[in-house]
Amino acid sequence: MARSFDELTAQEIAAGIAAGTFSAAEVTAAALDAIAARETEVQAFLQVTPELAQEAAARIDAARAAGEALPPLAGVPLAVKDNMNLVGTRTTCASRMLETYESPYTATCVARMLAAGCIPVGKANMDEFAFGSSTDSSAFHPTNNPWDTARVPGGSSGGSAAAVAAGMVPLSLGSDTGGSIRQPAALCGVVGMKPTYGAVSRYGVVAFGSSLDQVGPFGRTVADVALAMDALVSGGRDPYDSTAQDVVPGFAAAAASAEDLAGTRIGLVPAFMEAEGLTAEVRTGVERAASALEAAGAELVEVDLPHVDAAIAAYYVIGPAEAFSNLARFDGIRYGYQEPGCTNLADQSARSRAHGFGAEAKRRQMLGAYLLSSGVYDQYYYAAQKARTLITEDYSAAFARVDAILMPATPHAAFRHGEISDPTQMYLSDMYTISLNIAGNGGISVPVGLGADSGLPMAAQLVAPAFADERLITYAAVIERALGRAAGGSVLGVAPAFAGKGGELR
Amino acid sequence: MKELSEVLEDWEAVIGLEIHTELTALDTKMFCNCKLTHDDEPNTHVCPVCLGLPGALPVPNRRAIESIVKAGIATNCEIQKHSMFYRKHYFYPDMAKNFQTTQGPVAFCMHGHLDLEVTGRGAAERPACAFGEAEAESLASASAGAVGLSADLSRRADSQPAGAGDACGATGADASAGATALAGLSAYDTAAGAGPVRHEDGSYTVPIRILRIHMEEDAAKMVHVGGEEGRIGGAAESLIDYNRCGTPLIELVTEPDLRTPEEARLFMEKLRRIFVTLGISDCSMEKGSMRCDGNVSLRRRGERTLGTKTELKNLNSFKALHDGLAYEICRQAEVLEEGGEIYQETRHWEPSRKRTVVMRTKETADDYRFFPDPDLAPFDLTDEFIAHCAAEIPELPDAKRDRFERDFGIKRADAEQLAGDPALAAFFEAAAAGLSGKAAQTVANLIVNELMGYLNAAGADVTLETCGIAPAQVASLAGLLAEDAISSNQGHEVFLLMAQMGDDPAKIVDERGMRQVSDTAALQPIVDAVLARCTDQAQQYRDGNQKVIGFLVGQCMRESRGQGNPKLFNELLRASLS
Repeated sequence: MARSFDELTAQEIAAGIAAGTFSAAEVTAAALDAIAARETEVQAFLQVTPELAQEAAARIDAARAAGEALPPLAGVPLAVKDNMNLVGTRTTCASRMLETYESPYTATCVARMLAAGCIPVGKANMDEFAFGSSTDSSAFHPTNNPWDTARVPGGSSGGSAAAVAAGMVPLSLGSDTGGSIRQPAALCGVVGMKPTYGAVSRYGVVAFGSSLDQVGPFGRTVADVALAMDALVSGGRDPYDSTAQDVVPGFAAAAASAEDLAGTRIGLVPAFMEAEGLTAEVRTGVERAASALEAAGAELVEVDLPHVDAAIAAYYVIGPAEAFSNLARFDGIRYGYQEPGCTNLADQSARSRAHGFGAEAKRRQMLGAYLLSSGVYDQYYYAAQKARTLITEDYSAAFARVDAILMPATPHAAFRHGEISDPTQMYLSDMYTISLNIAGNGGISVPVGLGADSGLPMAAQLVAPAFADERLITYAAVIERALGRAAGGSVLGVAPAFAGKGGELR
Repeated sequence: MKELSEVLEDWEAVIGLEIHTELTALDTKMFCNCKLTHDDEPNTHVCPVCLGLPGALPVPNRRAIESIVKAGIATNCEIQKHSMFYRKHYFYPDMAKNFQTTQGPVAFCMHGHLDLEVTGRGAAERPACAFGEAEAESLASASAGAVGLSADLSRRADSQPAGAGDACGATGADASAGATALAGLSAYDTAAGAGPVRHEDGSYTVPIRILRIHMEEDAAKMVHVGGEEGRIGGAAESLIDYNRCGTPLIELVTEPDLRTPEEARLFMEKLRRIFVTLGISDCSMEKGSMRCDGNVSLRRRGERTLGTKTELKNLNSFKALHDGLAYEICRQAEVLEEGGEIYQETRHWEPSRKRTVVMRTKETADDYRFFPDPDLAPFDLTDEFIAHCAAEIPELPDAKRDRFERDFGIKRADAEQLAGDPALAAFFEAAAAGLSGKAAQTVANLIVNELMGYLNAAGADVTLETCGIAPAQVASLAGLLAEDAISSNQGHEVFLLMAQMGDDPAKIVDERGMRQVSDTAALQPIVDAVLARCTDQAQQYRDGNQKVIGFLVGQCMRESRGQGNPKLFNELLRASLS
């Protein structure tokens, strides 16, 4: 029976390989074939790594032949955002600055996915150094939304989201500094989760905003995302990241326990649902998710987050300040791009940076350098930290009353390439996601169907208290079961234009 | 140029030190697991973290934090439970990340002090006019912002940390601790107002305040090839060794409380003795594991406003520290007396030419864009942790000196010298066990004069541990001297034989028949024979020339082949001639 491998979830692929229905080599070949057939239109990857993939698949097949127990994600193709180091690949951060930079070591998050059996098929496109919400700021090429290739996939982890939505991989990793997992997941109609800050190691992920960055998975089902989360946290606290915490891998169990929500209280923030810029179709989608939770027995409660308006302002102080510091090392001397023909140090550094960084990367670094400078620091950085404390307290107060909060993930559906040219308008597309990076707790974006006006994917976002990330999986699974394909819903799965295109598995 | 003593009659030198100490006793670097090493092949102990590779993250070394807490307790600092690391941004080729991870307004250790005892010729460097009320006042006024670092950092004292709030355990700890630390400043200033206390013998005691001791990472080592005295100017190429990058470093910043180069040297020596005793560093100025920069400015005696300071580098020995500061004080005085101006600049001490030269001028203050390092959660040291560090602190040099003076009854200067070196102190305690007064002093004399002289002469390869001399041997030798079995001259001879052969001193003395003869009956015939021979000298003595007795004792010693007790000969001669 011939079918495309994109019909299979990660869970089904791992089970099929374990059962001998197909081999890891066959799945890998199918994934590479699907990429070959679809990538021209989607452009989700900056680098495809057939050799690495085939080697990893051969190891899985050899292990099975030797009768060894297979790890939980054995043979599951994985795309990795290109800000994550993986030996044998370049880590470019979609920047000219690192165009030829070979990873000298492997990031903990990637190593853990590989240890769980994943097959690394390539490095996914992104906004340059993760600065953006469209992936259009990639120095190499934009990525197209598989639901409408004239539109952006969102960002900054746009390549990771699009690769999953186009059926080229069942799982991918992204990083989320202000919404960079949840927003592209919403625009591409896939599940994307940003765990609590500290749940997943950041070691080996090129830093943007160190106090905001968090790694998380994309998948087409909540259960697949749960399996990836278990892989990311298994092995305990990473000794190489002093901000990492111990998290018990109970995500797959949390996905399976999505039954009766009696006694659960879900918060809704009226101000969010009436916010300027929120489209009617997104609001309808979130209301649909609320109804699904209510139908499962949850009680809906109104909560208030009075200081959350300050989140974007605080973010655009803290983020650029940390980015300025983290990117200071790219000086045209030690790493990456070096302008030829310079006769002195200052000239070489200035010209290498001028060529190596794109407009948004320059803008954020200059902003950060200004915000941290003497005489300005107190006015902005200190104020942003105060806002951070207040927003964190808002969430704590809300979570004293509810188990999770339901809100939009983005104000609108995917926009067209070039449609938003004003950077501050672009920043507003993160209005629902940014406050979580400020406060540190986790959130998940889950598809709720297609928008009545745009015909594009709509999503809802669930937000839980810090280190209560399993709840996100449980509640998202309830929404998925009520609204997803299995329930006759209109969305979930591979974007129709790409479903079944290449990637045939016997 | 005028002499230092002349300059200091008219000018008051205001000196502050910034002292960097590598925690060489640790096994690994500050933020990664790379081995700490001094002599290995360049760039062999490196990893993504200390190379500053994109994506790498720092993880603090717990033992380094223990070391700095011990250093703080031993220098009377307040240990700050809440502090954090900051990033200090600047470009330099030896710093991979283009920022240094260091501490912010609140360091692990704040507001300590050490009391200096300045004696002998060193005490004379501080002229008599520099004691009294005026001095105490000027001390207090000098503390207000004279050290650039403190002024720059206190600006940030009210800042809050980055971090993801409750989610990652970040709190406003540093900010509140900063407020506490600053609130404590007035008491700290009052304490310093005590000023120097002069003693009858011309020595004096002066408290030197320590602003802070903070933790930071060292940069890589630059080796400039082809330049003069290893400097970058004129170098053909510069090599970078990242083995040193990430070495745990503690930086101690004093208040500008020092007034003479001698005080600066003594402070540095005292600090070195404390750190060596704590066992946190080998404190080698020669190898660069302890480095000192000096800030110095001049003002007219009685003036309260601070002059413009210069910063001195390359003070890489105690002598260089003293001589560099002395030169710079004289240079500044000359410039000022000729109506010139001192520029705020960094100067390099050239020991071979005995002068300081300009390295760089600071026209504007650098903007380091300090902010809390978001990769490192704020510290929240527990009482247990601090108590654990305190419990591991051995007896410190001052306490040991006082105990040696009290319990063994030895001279304070000797006690100070012995107590300053843990190995030497242990040797003394073993050799002088059960002794006191004159007997213990004899042991101390042997160690300070004979043993240390022997080790110095033997060169760097021979140490107390490897020289083969045991405390019991020194104790035995001291016993022979105390019971007048041998003379002090013989003592020196026996010591050298003992060091060479490893034998017990009593055996050496017996085998060589060196035992001193103190039997009057045996000595009187020698005295009689000498007096019979030296009639002229005998007559001179009788005529009132007392000095000639020395010649006669010498003759007796020769007659006895050095074995007669010279004191007894003296007594017998006088008796015979009276």
